[in-house]
Amino acid sequence: MNKTSISIALVLALSLTACIDDGEDGQQGADGAAGADGTDGVSVYVTRDDVVTSNANIAYAAYADSLISAQSMRDVLATFVAEPTESNFTAAKQAWLDSREPYGQTEVYRFRVGPIDALTTDEAGEYVLGEEGDGPEGRINAWPLGEALIDYVADTVDGDEGDGLSGSNIIADTTTYPIIDAATISDLFEYEGEEANVTTGYHAIEFLLWGQDLNADLTGTGTRDATAGQRTVSDFTNVSGECTSGSDIVADEICTRRGDYLLAAADVLIDDLTTVVEAWEPVTGFHYANFVAGGDTSLALIFEGMGRLSYGELAGERINIALTTDSQEDEHSCFSDNTHRDIFLNAKGVQNSFNASYTRIDGEVVEGASPYDLLVVEGEPELANNLRAALEATMAAATVIDTKAETGTPFDNLIQEGIAQENVVAVIQALDTQTGYIEDSIDALGITTNDLYQDTEEEF
Amino acid sequence: MCIITILIYDSVFQSMNKSVNLTSPTALVLTGFTFLCLFISGCGGGSGSNTPVVITDPDPQPELDHSGLTPIETDVIESSEYLAGGDVTTFKTDDGAFETTPSIIDDDFTDASLFVQGDHLFRTAHDDSGPLMNSSTCQSCHINDGRGEIPTDITEAFESTLVKIADSLGNEDPIYGDQIQTFGKQTTDTSFRNANLPVFGGSINGDELFGEAYTYVEYEEVSGSYPDSTTYSLRKPVYKTKDMSFGDFVDGVQFSVRMAPSVFGTGLLNAIPEDNILALVDEHDADSDGISGKASMVTHAITGETILGRFAYKAQTPSVLQQSAGAYRGDIGLTNSLFVEESCTDAQIACQTVAEQEGQMGEEYDVSIRELALVEFYTRVLGVPARRGYNTTTQTWDTEISQGRALFFEANCIGCHTPRHVTGEAAGSLLGEIPLIGDPDEAAEPIEALSNQTIYPYTDLLLHDMGGSCEVTRETDEGLSCSEGEECMYVQRCEGLADGLIQGLATGTEWKTPALWGIGLVQTVNADSTFLHDGRARTIEEAILWHGGEAQTSKDNYMQLDSTERAQLLAFLASL
Repeated sequence: MNKTSISIALVLALSLTACIDDGEDGQQGADGAAGADGTDGVSVYVTRDDVVTSNANIAYAAYADSLISAQSMRDVLATFVAEPTESNFTAAKQAWLDSREPYGQTEVYRFRVGPIDALTTDEAGEYVLGEEGDGPEGRINAWPLGEALIDYVADTVDGDEGDGLSGSNIIADTTTYPIIDAATISDLFEYEGEEANVTTGYHAIEFLLWGQDLNADLTGTGTRDATAGQRTVSDFTNVSGECTSGSDIVADEICTRRGDYLLAAADVLIDDLTTVVEAWEPVTGFHYANFVAGGDTSLALIFEGMGRLSYGELAGERINIALTTDSQEDEHSCFSDNTHRDIFLNAKGVQNSFNASYTRIDGEVVEGASPYDLLVVEGEPELANNLRAALEATMAAATVIDTKAETGTPFDNLIQEGIAQENVVAVIQALDTQTGYIEDSIDALGITTNDLYQDTEEEF
Repeated sequence: MCIITILIYDSVFQSMNKSVNLTSPTALVLTGFTFLCLFISGCGGGSGSNTPVVITDPDPQPELDHSGLTPIETDVIESSEYLAGGDVTTFKTDDGAFETTPSIIDDDFTDASLFVQGDHLFRTAHDDSGPLMNSSTCQSCHINDGRGEIPTDITEAFESTLVKIADSLGNEDPIYGDQIQTFGKQTTDTSFRNANLPVFGGSINGDELFGEAYTYVEYEEVSGSYPDSTTYSLRKPVYKTKDMSFGDFVDGVQFSVRMAPSVFGTGLLNAIPEDNILALVDEHDADSDGISGKASMVTHAITGETILGRFAYKAQTPSVLQQSAGAYRGDIGLTNSLFVEESCTDAQIACQTVAEQEGQMGEEYDVSIRELALVEFYTRVLGVPARRGYNTTTQTWDTEISQGRALFFEANCIGCHTPRHVTGEAAGSLLGEIPLIGDPDEAAEPIEALSNQTIYPYTDLLLHDMGGSCEVTRETDEGLSCSEGEECMYVQRCEGLADGLIQGLATGTEWKTPALWGIGLVQTVNADSTFLHDGRARTIEEAILWHGGEAQTSKDNYMQLDSTERAQLLAFLASL
């Protein structure tokens, strides 16, 4: 802290020196005396509180976009369920892909005891932040999905399997679940306390639209091909006698129930996203107000979210585990083969946070005071630049994954031995490097992320 | 008042077993206490002397306990007891209480990442499980990382409880091995969900694989009463095993039903210096307190040394690594660098046939060294719940709990359930340090979070004779004696806690003292779970009442308490 204050004082002093009026007002043009070089290149003056406020404004914009696109998706899904044509099916899948674009960029707001992870209600029914895990994140985005609980599945995909109710699933079991609505699937989330029983969220909708990522021959064995899930529109048909579950003709009501499930999952998603958006609402949202007033604690949370998403979640669970196990079941968006976007967008979210810049789905750019600016102001221009460059390197590596996927080699192919694992490894290594600079920034700013939510321990 | 404060100061100081950092909150508080004491003392009396009070130790060489600490006291509860797991104590009290990242791990991006990756592997299914197996993931036995459960319906197969078997001398069954695996995958593409349940004789001819056998439980209610006439009822289990797919078991077979235990805190137990545990051994009851305590010495799967067993119900496993690797292989059918053979015995041709197809997948082991190391790390550093009933502001315990604790001590429950231990240096994984990418290739650094901690697990990790005996008979469903055939089940009835199964040095009546930390949250984490090795006790009270053998006197002491005192003792246990 002392060091930082001294640096600011020095910078100010030097700036003042450079600004002493020479009385010439540059009238001599190029013939005048050369000015002194500036120090540390302070171009933008920001305070710590400014950075915190900008971070909160971007949080609201990104969550609001997520909610807007979830509602758009719900409309498209409703049209598809009412008129299950090929073109409406394609539109439904595109709407899901679109909805993932803003949401992926919100994930940098995870792992910091924010609304997404900790929003709950107190005894009076008021929204409060509880503990990590109390929030709606699991219902919104948990994976791997408990797909065998939801609908028919192939016995295995690559020898992998999900847990499920033995021999039954929610859509097929008309006796136990006569009605499929938001309450039905919410109640079954983490059924019997098992975290593997994920029945709601983006990935439930994804599974219902794509089905399991089998090969083109509809088997889950043999060499993995480049196709995504193969669900056909006949799984949703409203033509009597033509309803299918994969290659089997089944009762008409199964297709109806599948449509009910799709819309119920969209409804639950919208409800959950709404609570998060409201918590972040500028001025009026309870969390927005608390966060903006949180000073260095909030500043630490920004860096904590960046570091944890970069290292634990993205480099670790979402990429390294998939690479280690070479398993589609460990791939984030395994049904749609959209994992490359998850990776890209998560990394983008970290970069957004550092640059305090986010491009909304309507093209508007939300910008503000950035941690980059702050590091420069606080006398750490080199570190600011190193972290900026590291984030850029990560985005470059993630772009390669993104491009490979768009050109016929999806992430589930990239993780296979002997294909292009070095592209995947490059992203992990870039994330590792950027995490190191994020840690350095935490040290340089003298902000602590310790004991942020375990204050009871502080007494000892 | 002052003397008591100094005692607390003294014991906390010693329990830290290292120099007190004067800037630490603890030290500041304690220093404050001392000043307060000096100040009060200075004002007392009428002599006018301002000489500081000199604290003289009445016993210059106090007897130290097995950890080298001043013995724990019945009436004085050290504040450190609140943080039962030392630096890896966690503070959740809901169904996530046993699966929480300690802040010391979470605060480090690298450790947090390893934890998250290990957690992912712990709860998700893996390629190439089986052919024979009990479950498909770690988490489906250790539900929410806590205990398993017994199905309420006899038509539901055990999934988070399993059955160990051996002949009357403790040798494994030549056909079935040392454990009944209830599920069999007919091909490598069969999922656990669609794995075959056992079919009588179904796998004898070698062309079709079924689970090995099906065990279920029926309970008989046995009622009893306390000396004060309060009645209670216990569930006495009768275990029935049928549908033997590979034919009869070995003659003299014994069965031991084991519910999956909680997994948190095992890294700390692993780090207790072996000598500290061995100091508690009293195999021939030299102190004549009716409690012996025998070390379970076992063979280390990697080094081959003979070392202390600490894990599983008969302490037959020496390390978290070996326990994890053994469970992967034995319970899920996943080979790994410690246990390289598939979950089939040589006599199980139907199993071997499927296992050979698995081998064609190309990888050396089903679970890579990296994956095993991640799961080991995750399991070792899983947090221990903080005690409840302690007010951190006033630094006082609920009266009911402190009184219950005193009763627990006075009843000599601590004769086996040793309250406090210290850890030494927690060596890094024998598999090596986990790198950013790929398998470990360098020796691992010690895990600091687990090292040099004062912990309160309430176990001595030793074997004790808990009494009882078992009988296995062949019977039909109607209870008629039989000798062979599909209707002819194996039926095991036991008196007391015995299981009749010899494992290593543990006899058919001996069990390792289980740790009690977290016991008060077991049914918060999994409402359907129950207590003791086979889950027969529905409540902690029932678990106490099942104690016998070396614990008979302590149990009798408990039963002699009046109802208020019994409630206090149970409140204490619920706070663990």
